[in-house]
This record gives sequence, C-alpha cells and structure tokens, in this order.
Amino acid sequence: MSRAERHRLSSLHDVELASLAASGDRQAFGELVRRHGSAVRALLRRMGMSAAEADDLAQDAFIAAFESIAEFRGEGAFGGWVKKIAARACMRRVQKDKQLRARLEAVDLQEAAEPADPGRRMDLDEALKGLGEAERLCVSLCYGAGLSHVEAAEALNLPLGTVKSHVKRGLDKLKARLAPEGEAMEGRRGNG
Amino acid sequence: MAEMEVERTIERLFARAPESADADLFAERVQRRLDRGWAARRVLIGAAGLVGGVIGASQLIMSNLFSRAEAASSESARVLTSGVRQLAPQAEWLLNGPAGIEAIWLVAGLAVVAMGLVLTRIIEEI
Repeated sequence: MSRAERHRLSSLHDVELASLAASGDRQAFGELVRRHGSAVRALLRRMGMSAAEADDLAQDAFIAAFESIAEFRGEGAFGGWVKKIAARACMRRVQKDKQLRARLEAVDLQEAAEPADPGRRMDLDEALKGLGEAERLCVSLCYGAGLSHVEAAEALNLPLGTVKSHVKRGLDKLKARLAPEGEAMEGRRGNG
Repeated sequence: MAEMEVERTIERLFARAPESADADLFAERVQRRLDRGWAARRVLIGAAGLVGGVIGASQLIMSNLFSRAEAASSESARVLTSGVRQLAPQAEWLLNGPAGIEAIWLVAGLAVVAMGLVLTRIIEEI
C-alpha cells in the first residue's frame, strides 16, 4: 500500500472504512484492524487468554468481522462490535477446550491465594488477576465487551442470576483493589 | 465510590487499552489471512465453474441429444441449416465439413462453458 493511500485511509472514519470493507476493500479493513487490534487483544488477555491465544482469537474475530461486515450498520462503535465478536469467540473456545478451562481454573486458584495489599495501587490488568475465572469473565464481558447481563449469560451458558452475582462480586473486588486510583482520580478532578 | 461511579470507572479502564507495539504487524497478519482466503475462494469458484461447465457440455454431447433431435425433426434441422447459411454464408465450410451440425453444437457447448466462467467471475465480483 502506498503512503498516500495509507494516509487517505487513516483520515477516514470507522464507518466509512467499514463501508469500503463491505464492498471488498481489504486495505480499508486493514486500517480498522490497525486501529482496534490492540484493544481487542487486550480484552482477550484480560479475559484470561495468554498473549498467543489472544492474538489467534483476535485474528479469527477480525476475519469473522470481515465476513459479516455488511451487518455492521454504524449504529454503535466498530470497536465495540468487533469486541463482542471476539468475546463470544473466546467463550466458545473456553467452553470447548476442557484443558484450557482447567488451566484457567488453576490460574484462578493460584491468584486467589495471593493476598491483596489494600494500600497498593493497582492497574486494571493486575486487579483482574485477583478475580475468580467466572468473575473475571463476567466483568470483562459486561464492562470490556459491552455485553448485557443476559448476553453474557448466553455466551457463558450460565443462569442470569449467577452471572449477576459474579459481576457483583467481581466489581466489589475490583472496587477494593482500584480504590486508591479511583480516589486519586476524584482528587485530581477536585483539585483541577 | 458510588456503585455507578465504580461501573463507569471500570468501563473507562477497560476502554483505555494500551496500544501494542506490534499493532502494524498484527494488522498485516490479518490482511495476509484475508488475502489468502480471497485467493483460495477465487480458485475454488473458478474451478467449480469450469468443472460444472465441462460436465454440462459433456452431458449434452454424450446424451445423443443432438442426433435424437435431428432424427425427430429433420425438417427443422434443414430450416435451421438454411437459416444459418443465410445469416452466415462464411460458415458453410463448417456445415459441409466432416463434423457438420455436431461442430456447431460443440461450439455452442464451449460457449456455454465460457458463459459459465463469465458468470462465476461476475458473482465473485459482486
């Protein structure tokens, strides 16, 4: 791709790029991948995937997004749309792959045994490690991928009430771990 | 923090994903996969069109349809032949050749194959 073409594509809005991609322009879709690839990969890692698994799944999600790009009408953000595709693909893999599920559970036990230092400021990635597998998945699906509780319950194949309580517990844990950052943010806003 | 504020903060933190150093490389990998899939699809559609066209044409030729049609209506064949002669006197050598009317049918069959290929190409472009 020439520099001028790259520049032209980078100046277009996501909806325009999606419309070009829907007419078969793979370069335009490449620009969308460039813009949203990092966020999708980060979401999958936050859901408990290793870096390599997250990359594979993110690639699959973008390919699936390209196949069904005509369904994207630009009503929501492209990033949110593709994150939902990736999150659902991740859930399918978790449910299919028993070894992966066992590994995720093992990581959870390990992380849960590690006590959280209440005075220590954490970033989201670190704070998520303190959550159980189901809590992390539910919180990531609802707040990272933007799924509703009902959609998350369907993706996880869990009852709605269970998902709601996982989200509640996960939020409580995150609140405790992220509180210093939240307070700092509020303090900055107050001082500014 | 109030419940709603916690939720908004967590949403903001999720949205604040760091830009990967290899973002361009990742995009290229996805694009390469798309290109590979596209090329494979083109080959597949083309091959399917060719095979379908060849099978269709060979079925027409092998089914003795032409000779049966000829026998059923030698009169209409004569009219057709004279019509063709009027339309294209240059094709006389073909009609009078050893293959005669069969050659015309063969050419028509090949034309069908060609049309099949054109059609698959159009579908592919759409």
